[in-house]
Order: sequence, then C-alpha cells, then structure tokens
Amino acid sequence: MLVQPCATAFDHVKALPATLLTHLSLVLGLVLLSASGALAWPILEQPSSPPARPDSTARPDTTVRPDTTVRLSSVVVTATRTAKEIEDVAVPIAVVSAEEIERQGAVRLGEVLAAVPGLHFFDDHGTGIQVQGFAPDYTLILIDGQPVIGRTAGTLDLDRLTVQGVERVELVRGPSSSLYGSEALAGVVNIITSHPQDGLRGGLNVRGGSFATSDLSADVQYGAARGGARLLVNRYASDGYDLTPDDGTAATFGPTVPTFTDWTSDFRGHYDLTDRLELRLGARAAYQDQAGAFAQTATDGSLVTFDDTANRLDWSVHPEARLRLSDRIRLTSTLYAAGYQTETRFRRQDDGSVFYSDDFDQRLTRGEVIADALWNGAHQSIVGAGYTDERLVGDRYNFEGEQPVAQQAFAFAQHEWRPSRLVEVNASARLDAHSDYATQLSPKVAVLVRPSETIRLRASVGSGFKAPAFRQLYLAFTNAAAGYSVFGSTRLADGLAQLEADGLIAQQFLDPTGLDPIGSETSVAYNLGATVSPTPWLSTSLNLFYNDVKDLIETQPVAVKTNGQQVFGYFNLDRIYTRGVEAEATVLPLDALSLADSDHRVEVAVGYQFLQARDRDVIDALESGTVFGRDLNNRDVQLGVGDYAGLFGRSPHSATLRATYEHADLGLTTSLRARYRSEYGFADFDGNQIANRPDEFVSGYGIVDATVTKTVPAPGDTQAALQLGIDNAFDVTRGALVPSLPGRRFYATLRLSL
Amino acid sequence: MLYRFRFLALSAALLAFVGCDSSDNEPDPVPLNAQVATDVEADPTTGRDPNSGRPISNDLFTLFDLDAGQIVLSSSQTDAAVRAADSASTVWDIGFKGTTLIFNGGASGPGQGSAQLLTQTFDAVTEAPAAGYATDGSNTCPAVETPGGTFPGAPNAICTGSDNGWYNYNAQQNLIAPLAGRTIVLTTGDGNYAKVRILSYYQGNPTTPDPNTDASRYYAFEYIVQPDGSRDFETTEG
Repeated sequence: MLVQPCATAFDHVKALPATLLTHLSLVLGLVLLSASGALAWPILEQPSSPPARPDSTARPDTTVRPDTTVRLSSVVVTATRTAKEIEDVAVPIAVVSAEEIERQGAVRLGEVLAAVPGLHFFDDHGTGIQVQGFAPDYTLILIDGQPVIGRTAGTLDLDRLTVQGVERVELVRGPSSSLYGSEALAGVVNIITSHPQDGLRGGLNVRGGSFATSDLSADVQYGAARGGARLLVNRYASDGYDLTPDDGTAATFGPTVPTFTDWTSDFRGHYDLTDRLELRLGARAAYQDQAGAFAQTATDGSLVTFDDTANRLDWSVHPEARLRLSDRIRLTSTLYAAGYQTETRFRRQDDGSVFYSDDFDQRLTRGEVIADALWNGAHQSIVGAGYTDERLVGDRYNFEGEQPVAQQAFAFAQHEWRPSRLVEVNASARLDAHSDYATQLSPKVAVLVRPSETIRLRASVGSGFKAPAFRQLYLAFTNAAAGYSVFGSTRLADGLAQLEADGLIAQQFLDPTGLDPIGSETSVAYNLGATVSPTPWLSTSLNLFYNDVKDLIETQPVAVKTNGQQVFGYFNLDRIYTRGVEAEATVLPLDALSLADSDHRVEVAVGYQFLQARDRDVIDALESGTVFGRDLNNRDVQLGVGDYAGLFGRSPHSATLRATYEHADLGLTTSLRARYRSEYGFADFDGNQIANRPDEFVSGYGIVDATVTKTVPAPGDTQAALQLGIDNAFDVTRGALVPSLPGRRFYATLRLSL
Repeated sequence: MLYRFRFLALSAALLAFVGCDSSDNEPDPVPLNAQVATDVEADPTTGRDPNSGRPISNDLFTLFDLDAGQIVLSSSQTDAAVRAADSASTVWDIGFKGTTLIFNGGASGPGQGSAQLLTQTFDAVTEAPAAGYATDGSNTCPAVETPGGTFPGAPNAICTGSDNGWYNYNAQQNLIAPLAGRTIVLTTGDGNYAKVRILSYYQGNPTTPDPNTDASRYYAFEYIVQPDGSRDFETTEG
C-alpha cells in the first residue's frame, strides 16, 4: 500500500493500557519473557503511532522522513459517527494505523484484528473475531461506515477483506446499536479507506511466502485541489495447508484450508462540486475461487471422497453526497448497495456426480440521510434516518417458490453535551422497524470525565441487539438424508401446515399460529474505564465490561414427523453474560528513553484481558446439582459452578505484547509481536453440553510474529521498502482444533511507491 | 479438580473417624469395593444384510451374574436348550441386548430382580432406596423415537429410548453415550441390592468412542453388590 501522507502529523499519545495491579506482574512477566526469548507480541491497539509531537524540535528528522513517520491523525469516527480525538471518546476504542499494519506485514483484516488485545480468532465457517467474549455474529464489520454483508453460520470471514488501501482500522468495544443497529452488539470494526494523495502516484506491493501464499497489489491514484481518486487491484492466493496428515480416515482427508485465489478491486473517489457540496464514490468487487476436498465414511465403512469447490462474488457501491448547509450544519446522503453470492458444489471424486449444491444470493440496498449540527462549543447533535431493502435467493430459503424479501426503516439521534471542560456526555438512541421481527429501540449513554490532563474516566451503559439471522427467519430446509426439517420463524406455521397436509406429522408440540414473532437478541452492556498517563512516556488504561444478554435464538423441536425425525423452529431462549477486564500499558518513545541519539525509537505495548462468558441456565443447573460429567475413565461425577469453564472458545486469560524498534538513519524497523491465550473449551464429549474434562479443551498457546523492514530512500517521492517476516516463529499448532493456526510461515514483501 | 480432592480428603477423614468409633465386639464391617466389567457383549452385529445393508445380529441377550462377576450366558450362544436352562435360573442378575437392559424378575426371569434409575452419581448412591423398583413388564415408559418412527416404550424396569433411560443417542454422530449422573439400583435374582453405572457401550471402554471405528454393543460397567441383604452400598457384614 502506499505510504500515507505525513502532512497531518498531530498524533496523540493514546490511551493505552492500564492494568490491575494483580495482573501487572503477569504483564511484566510477559515483557521479560519476550525480551529474554527475543520474541515479541503483537500489537496493541492503539496506534502504533509514535507520540505525537509535531511541535517538538527535538527530533525533527523523524517527523519529516516519509518512510518511517507515517503519521496518522488520532481522529476516529466510528464511536460517535463524528470525527473525534480518540482520547475524547467515552467508550473503549482501538485503532490500528496503516503504519502499524505495514509494520506487521498484515495483508488481511483478520491478521490486523488478531493482534488487538482481547480479540481472538474464532473459527466457524471462516475466520471471525471474538470481541468481549462474543462469537463473530455479534460484531458489525464496516467499510467507511457501511456494512459488509455475507455471513456463513454467523461468521463474516475476515480473510475476505484486504487491508491494502486502508488508512486505519477502528474497533469499538461494547454495543453501538444505538448508532448502527443490528450486529453492533459486541463491537464494531470500521475499515477506513485511505484518501488519495496529491498528484499522480502509483504503488506496487508484492508479497510471497510459505504455502505458496502470495499477495499482489497495484494502485494508481490522483489527487488535486477539488478531488481525487484511487483504484486498487489486489490478488491474494494460497495453496492452503493441511494440519491433519491423511491417515485413511474421513476426518483427516483433504486440506484444512483449501487452495484459493481471491481478487479484489476497490475504487475510492471524491470531488468537490461546489464549495459546499462534496461527492464521494466507493466501489468494491471481490471474487474468490476455492477448491478443497473432504471424505465421509459410508455405512459399509469405506471412504467416500468429495471435491468441494466454491466461489464467491462480493460487491458494493457506495455513493455519498456531503452538503455543508452552513458553518454549523452538514447533511450527508448515502446510498449503499451490496451483494454477496456464493456457489458451493460437492462432487463425488469417483464419478464426478454432484452430491450437494447450494447457491446463495444476498442483496442489500440502503438509503440513509444524516444531519449533524454543531450548535455551539457545548452542544453537537446528529440525526439520521434510512431505509434498507434486503433480498435473498437461496436453495435453502426457497419455500413454495417464494424467496425472502424484507424491509427495514430506521432512525437514530445522538446528542453530545459538554457542560464543562471536564465533562462530556453522549446520549444516543436508534429505532429499527423491520418487516419480519419485532421493532427494536436501542438507547445508550456515555460519559467522559477529565479530572486532569493526564486522567480520563469513561463510563457507558448501552443496549445492543442482533436481529434474527436469515436462517432464523426464513430457512425452509429438510435434510434429505436424515429426514428432519428446520423452519425459520416466518415459515414455521406454513411449513408445519404443509407437512401436516402431506400427512408427515405424527405429533405436534405447539400451535405455531399462536406464537409471538421471533425477537432480536438483546443486551445491556456496561463499560467502566480509566486512562492514566502518569508520565509523558507511559500510558495505562483499564476497562471493566459487563454484557447481559437475553433472548439468544436457539432451535427447539416443535413436532415429530412420521419418520421419527423432528421438526425444529427458532425461539428466543438463552441468557448469557460476559464480563471481564481489559488492561493495557504502552511505553512510548521519548527522547529521554531513546538511545544515544534520536535516530532510535523504541515502543512497547502490552495488553491483558480477563474474560468470563457464561450461560445463565447452565449456572442455574450447576447450582441445583443436576449437571454431571464423566472423567477420562468414563466414571460420572457431579459438577459445580467451579467446574464450568464458560462458553466454548473463550479463554479466561489472554495477553498481547508488541515491541517496535526503529533506526531512522538506517531506515530499519523491527517489529516483534506476541499473543497468548489460555486454554478454552472446544467440545463436549461427556454429554453435558459444557466443557469440563481435560480432553474437551484446547491447551493455551502463545504465538510470536516478527518483521524486519528496510526502507530505501529514492529520488523524489519514490521509495522502496523490503520486508522479511516470520509468522508463528515457534511453530505452534493445535491441529484441526484451530484451523486458522498453521505452523511457522516466512514471507518477503517488496513495496514500491512511485 | 481441587474440589474433588477436597471431597476425597473429607471422605478419608470421615472414614478414619468412623473406624475409630467402632469399638464393639461385632466383626468390623468390610468396605464394599466397586467391580468393573468390560467388553460384555450385548448382541454385537454379526454382519450386514446384503440387500438392505442393515446390520444383523443374533437378537439374543447376554446374561450377567453380578455376584460372581461373570457372564452366565453370552448372546453368541445360540443353542436353544442351553439358553432356556440358563435364563430360567436365578443366577443371572442383569441382561444386555443392544441398548436394552433386563433384570431377572417379572416378565424377564424367575428371580427377584427389579430396578430403578436414579439421577445421581454412582458414588453419591450410598444406600439403595427402600422403594421405587419396577420389574420388567410392569413399568410405564415414554415413547421411543427412532429413525424408523415413534413407538410406545417397552414397559421395562429401565426404559428404552434416547434420554428415557441410561443413554443418549446422538443421531448425527450415530453415537450412544451413557448419561452421566444416572445410577441403576437393582435387586438381583437372589433379592440382594446392587448398583450399576454404565461406563461405555463400545469395545475397549474408550474415553471418546468413534462410532465409525469402535465396535458398539460391548458394555463396560461398574457395580457394587451388597451380599448381606441390606441396602447399604458402603460396607458389608456378609
């Protein structure tokens, strides 16, 4: 990617990590461990960016050298839908800048997010991200403020998204449904694309590495006084990998990650039509082809092998008009259209016959108008309203030839009030009215207090919601092989009636006509935090979070068919909570800390998260003594609350560490990153639906990544950088249990900016 | 883990205390130790029907004597005369065929056998309940769901069907798993009390059976029989 302009060089010492004293020792231990082991831990959230001292005369060289000082403003937009200094945001937020992304050698969004403290990969039909203990379904992914669509089993595969052409990635923790609606329950990830630079420029980025993984990007951009445009083409491909060597069983046949080729083209342009009116256009198209294989065991014990091929087309168009009505009032009108199509085929390898085929086509069209008004220094408001139309065409959604179409209208408002220099209050609310599920109101209040220059206290309480997924609303599916049926809530009554009319229902457990419509999954979340910067070179932050979630949607049998199989419907059932502590500390480079001369810059950041994610019904059952398990000798034991490790896939402890060393004169940057997560449950083998036995856990692991980047100054604006990287330096794997964790990988990148 | 250690330590302390306290002339009660039986065949499949592909088996019970800790009559024994003689005795206590359990009494045999299923761990059942037993043929059981349809539950002392009795059947994995926290308390053919927990339905008592590779219809179970006629499962005077 091209180097960012360094004109806007006011960075800030961000708020970083703080720590509980009790965990400080652990964090320090990690620092020492990593130092002694010459490792490093990944990133932290905050940027990366060096402390901002554009006014400092001490190190003028580092602020002008374009290669090493890609400075980004610390302004963020996701938390409030207005541009705001990151330290003045009243909710937990993290930013990864383009500079840090380049230093990490990251090419896909997943790699960027996995390095943020407290976030973990969550493998389920693709690689998603876990925020505050929630599955990937509950985090909204945006590009320039508009949603990326296309989820499989709730997971939006983060490897779909390139981070070339990205200025920064923002992550808001905690619900933002009061501004963004559904899915913004655990958090919001917003990919902010970069603005075209002045003049005509081009860039080339070539990376190759292990598993024949390659990432090629080329871009051209032009910027002038009134406007600019950028076109980017990216090709990402890999031979995939296999973590389970084939031993003749079905489970080990085929690759863990299939061979794939992924193309992305991305256009961003803006033009000032008049002094008051700016037009913007974003357009993106991505296409992926993949080819894998798997096997099933036939009833006679023999292996039946299949080719598994899939392709995916994913596009969006995003025109926007920004009209400055007055000095204080601005109007933004946005149209957004997105599509997500997949074709999946399973073919028997022996005769090539199609065993399974599934086509899926999702369309989203949205219009949105937002007005923001800066009334005076103390008051600022935003109001917005919009309308969304969604259409689905899919083999599993076809009911009597009818395909789902849904409409949604929404409106939101936010008011920010600064009663004094010390206090800032932000209140927001959003109303979502949908054609197929109950209307949702999502309020939120956040307060920021600045008792002194070095201390910031944050408190927020807000509600989040996640609308029922397509399958939960519209599925009409009968498993041809096993004979069971599943209906989304809008199809349940008709589906049952149809089965009844066909004489296929033996017994019905409930009357679906009397059911309330399915509702959204809702949460109330509390975040309480503080950032303290006791010295200019140290920033610590601490955040306590508690998410109380109810009405999680689960399937439940509603009838028994004459073939003995059941009919399932979706209902609002489960209640869970997640709670924990996020702590971070960043040591920022300061002249005093720098080595002999100011050519050297060292930055270290550590993060730690403690997490509990639990099902309330399981807790109740454990307290009542009705939950049992089996030990490894198959003997049964009674379980108590202390035996409960929480929801699957949640590590109670996790930590990250990132260290950067930069030698400006040599144009050399070294980045070491590490991340650790403690053991987590992945399966239930003893029939109690919870992880409690040693073999039901994935043991904890730490991953170390490192890069060395050499920047070569060239005439004019031209520059080149060569990067060598190693991911997972200690070759940690957990087999098929963690498919997103291949072993050690090497890569080399050449970056040209012309 | 820690929790369990503490429990063990507590139990040990209690046992020691009880031991010191018994100072009368009667012979000291002998602790009852649990026995484990493994790979008790329960009518394993002998092949497949060449036409339907369905597994075929002898469709016969294996009869087990808990007091002696041995099989009295195997499901592989097909001689009708031998089977008639053995099954008509009161020696056997519990019979196995697939997931079905029978007890030597009522409709199943000439003995005093009966049983009930408790929702408790094996260790927690320190004394047999005084009442609540049913004989085979006299119980009322819930309907059984099978891939082939829904059937009325057989009136066995321990009901058949997934989650109705001692096991869960996972149709997706084709896996039979004993329900944890279920203890079968029974009266033997001779009328003594015993408790049983099923450990596994697969050959070799594997911790995580794979229905594709582990042979099913081989029971592993743990049991204690009280020979002195009392309902106590901790010590015996017999």
